[in-house]
Order: sequence, then structure tokens, then C-alpha cells
Amino acid sequence: MKSRVVAPIALAAAILFAMPARSADHSLEYAVKATFLFKFASFVEWPAGTFESESSPFNLCVVGADPYGGRIAQAVAGQTVGRHPIVLTQLAKADRRSACHAMFVAGSGSQEVEEALRAVAGTATLTVTDSALSPEAGIVHFVIVDDRVSFDIDNVAAAYNHLWISSKLLSLARRVNTGRGVTR
Amino acid sequence: MIDGATARPRSAMAPLRALAGALVLLIAGVLASVYQERVFRAQRARELTVQAQILAASVTAALVFGDAKAVQEHVSALSINTEIGAAGVYDNAQNLVASFARRGAAPLQRSLRDENDGANTAMFINVPVTHQDERLGTVYIRAIEEPLARRLTRHVPMTLLAVMAALLVGFMATSQRALQNEMEQRSRAEDALRQSQKMEAVGRLAGGVAHDFNNLLTIIQGNLHLLRHADMNDHAGIQNRVASADLAADRAGNLVRRLLAFSRRQPLSPKPVDLNALTMGMKELIVHSVGELVRIEWNLGATWWIQCDVNQMENVILNLAINARDAMPDGGTLTISTRDCSLRDGADDAEVRAGDYVEFRMRDTGTGMTQEVRNRALDPFFTTKPQGKGTGLGLSTAFAFIRQSNGHLEIETAPNAGTTIIIVLPRYLGNTEQTA
Repeated sequence: MKSRVVAPIALAAAILFAMPARSADHSLEYAVKATFLFKFASFVEWPAGTFESESSPFNLCVVGADPYGGRIAQAVAGQTVGRHPIVLTQLAKADRRSACHAMFVAGSGSQEVEEALRAVAGTATLTVTDSALSPEAGIVHFVIVDDRVSFDIDNVAAAYNHLWISSKLLSLARRVNTGRGVTR
Repeated sequence: MIDGATARPRSAMAPLRALAGALVLLIAGVLASVYQERVFRAQRARELTVQAQILAASVTAALVFGDAKAVQEHVSALSINTEIGAAGVYDNAQNLVASFARRGAAPLQRSLRDENDGANTAMFINVPVTHQDERLGTVYIRAIEEPLARRLTRHVPMTLLAVMAALLVGFMATSQRALQNEMEQRSRAEDALRQSQKMEAVGRLAGGVAHDFNNLLTIIQGNLHLLRHADMNDHAGIQNRVASADLAADRAGNLVRRLLAFSRRQPLSPKPVDLNALTMGMKELIVHSVGELVRIEWNLGATWWIQCDVNQMENVILNLAINARDAMPDGGTLTISTRDCSLRDGADDAEVRAGDYVEFRMRDTGTGMTQEVRNRALDPFFTTKPQGKGTGLGLSTAFAFIRQSNGHLEIETAPNAGTTIIIVLPRYLGNTEQTA
């Protein structure tokens, strides 16, 4: 799995420096975000037939380089979503055939965040974005509130992608777009 | 006397019974209260469990993402429930993540272990927080310590009900006792009235009886006088005098006994008895009573026994024999017979119940009675005998005695056709061999 996880340190460093310096200790923030990535999955239901079996792999894709300096690979190593082992895939570009169950869209030189989101819209893909990297928001959008990692959820986009997000997760979000206006 | 003796323990039992009843009611009240308390606690535990389960579900995501602030928000929301004294969420390592404690309630321990081991008097609930079969931590809810006053208040209605029921039972017992006392008093008063009526009758009788008694004494004295001057070698003559005196003394004794039997309520002592043997035992007495002019035929065919007071029965037979003699002043035949007889229901006399009886019959060939006399024959103090010859008590006491012995007495008679007195007494069904 590690061979598939490529973490170009230069790029990571570049992104890190590009981030607004709101917190002195970014390493903790990144670790938290990396952990959150796969933890979201346990509160989301994919349409029936998405997984071949109960133990077939869960594809977590990162579009672009890991902006958290390889912490995504560290976080998901050996982890499962339910009984699905997590398989981390690094993509340069996302398209409709990417077959990702969850996709962290960091944005890269070959594909902007907005472009990648549009590419998988309507497919059963849980898109995750980071406000620190791009204002473009996927279904889950990391934000920093009071020096703490939080997230917004776009339940309309989730529904468009045939995903059902547990109210437990929704209750934890900073904001939820329900289509009838943003709550909380 | 007998009534009083049996009534006293009964009235003494009444307050005891009432006390027992009240006690039972109070115990029932206590049991009901205990049950109510248990139901209440169980319901409270259910409510708290539901609350804890709701909290466990809502903090799942917050625990997964380690969002202690969100956990705290959810926990604090429980403070709206005034039944909850303290609530908290512990992580998998049993460390406190978030908690709230109501004013007056002890704050939660840092570790769940200490909280569960602590000397908590209040009810508490542990509910696990799980997500996808993975245990994330524990929701802990401790109920408020209920003030004693509030707990007691809950049992006020039941207590009131039990106390009122007990009071009611006590009141009823008291009034029942009063009623019983009144009834006893009335019964005693009636007894006294009956007795005084009787004594009045005895008083009125005294003259006649005294005369009767005097006549008998004269006979005895006369015989004694004759004996004193008798030829000592005339054995038959002496025997006659002694027999006459004896008979007179017997009659005097009978007279007194009859009077006593009437004037005071002599307790009867019924015994199993062979009526034939009893009758034969009186043979001499009867022969002497009726005199030489009357021929006696014996026809004792009964095989069953009866149960009655022997003395009284003898008295009855003697009375009947004397009546028969008086009815046959010019002589005649007296037939005394016994037989077994089974009466069926609806027989000629509805007053006699169906069953086995022994019949005693005394038939004379005397003057008989008119219908009018016959109708009054059993009335006390009614007599056709001249003043001083009879008291009018013979047949009536006989009748009363026979009725007391569950038997029946009947008179068949017509003027100049003789009189038959028929007595039936219930068959004695016990062992007659041993008592014989």
C-alpha cells in the first residue's frame, strides 16, 4: 500500500507554506484532518450494490498530492470502514470512471478542485475538500473554528451523489446545507 | 347460663378479629407501597436509560471525531431534565470527556471506575456508546437524590387509604360488638321473662300441688300408722302397707320432680337406651299405679334403640299410665306396645321428618276424650281431673320432653272409644352393643 502512497515532500511543503498560518502546530491539525477523512465514511451510506461484498475494499482517493505531508497514508494504514479495508489511491485527475468511494480533492496542477468535483458529481462519491486549500466545497468541507478542525456538510450535493449522511454526523457539522437554507 | 357462656368468648373474639383485619389491611397497604416504590424506581430507571441511550446515540459522531465540545453540548442539554442529578460521557479508557452536575449534586469522578465503585445512594445508569460494533465509551447518568419528603409524599394516598380502611374495620367491629351486646341483653331479658312467667304459674299451682302432696302424705302416714299396729306375723298384710306407702311416696316424689322439671330448666342428659328394657324396668311401678282393675297387655316388639333422658322418659310413661288408669275408673285393658317404624316424608304429620323411629303406644279402653278436650290436652295446666287430683302438667311436660328429643306425640281418641297415645322417637344409630 505504501508504494501507492506517494508523498512529494516538495509539494506538501509548498502547500503548507501557502496555508494561512493560523495555528502554529499544523502537524496536529493535519493528523486530525487525515483521520477525519476515513472516519466520515462510517457515517455515510452508499447506494446498494456499490460494494461487491462486505469485505471488498473501500477506495479512498486523493486527487493531487497529499497536502498533509503523508499523514493520510499514515492515518488510513490498516484501517477499515465497517469491514471494508481502506485502499488509498493517488490520482492526478478525477473522472467518472475513477471508482472512488471517497475522494479528497486537494487540487493539483492538472485539475482544479472545482473541476474534479464536477467530474464526479452524480457518482456515488463522498467528496472532501479543505477550506485551507480552496474555497471550493465538496460534500464535506474542512474548516477551522476556534483553532479546532470542524467541517461543513452539503447534504444537497450528497443527495445528488446518491449518498445518505447520518444525522449523527450532520449534528457535528458546523453548517449543513439542506437545500432549504443552511442550518446551524 | 349456657347462652352466656358461649356468647362471652364470641364477643371477646370480635375485637381480636377486627385488630387482625386492620393489621392485614395495613400490611397490604405497606406491601402496595413497596410495590409502588419498586414500580416507580423501575420506571425511573427506564426513563433514565432511554435518556442515556439518546445521549449515547447523539454523541457517537462527536466521540469518533474527538469533539469534546460537541459532547459537552449534548451532555449539557440533559440539564433540562430535573430528574437527572449528574450526567457525563466517558471514553473507552473510562476517562471523563464531558459532564454536568446539577447544583447540590456531587460532580462526576474523573474515572468511570471511581464513579461506579463510589458509595452512590442515588440511582445511576451506564449505557455504552457504540459505533459500527465498536465501543467508543460510556454514557453515565445519575438520578437526583430524592428528598425523603418527596418520597413520602408519593405514599400519602396509599397510606391514607390503608389507615381509613383500618379505621372503618375498627368502627364496624365496635358497632358489631355493641349490637352483639344488645342482642345478648335482649336474649337474657327474654329468658328472665319466660322464667318469671313460669314461676308465676308455679306459684298459682302451688295450692293444687300442695293438696295433692298432702293426700299422698296422708296415704303414707295412714299406712305407717297401720303398720305400727299390724300383726307382725301377717307378712302379706305388712307387704301391702309398705307397698302402698312406697307407691304414695313415689307419686309424691314424681309430683315434686314434675314440678321441678317444669319450674327450672333441667338440662337433659340423653343416653342411648333400649325402650323395651326401660319399659320392663317400670313394670312393677306401672302395675301398682294402674291398680288391680286394669289388665295390662305387653307387646314390646321394637328392636331399635332410641336416645333420650331416661328419667324423663320414665316420667312420661308413668304419667301416661296414671292418665290411663284415671280414664278407666271401672277397669279395662291397658295395652303397652313398642315397634320399629320408618316414616317417609309427607307422612300424616308434616312435623315429623322422614327417617327411622321407635314407636311407643299406650292404649286404654277408657272414657276417651271429646275433640275439644283432645285439642287442649297438651296445654299446660289443662286437666279434666278434679281439683287436687292433678296438675295438668303431665301431658304437657311429656309433650315438651318428646319434642326436645326430636320425637313426636300424638293422641288418638274419641268419647267412649278409649285413648291411644302414640310417641315416636328417632332411632339411635350409634353402636348399641358397647353402650348396652
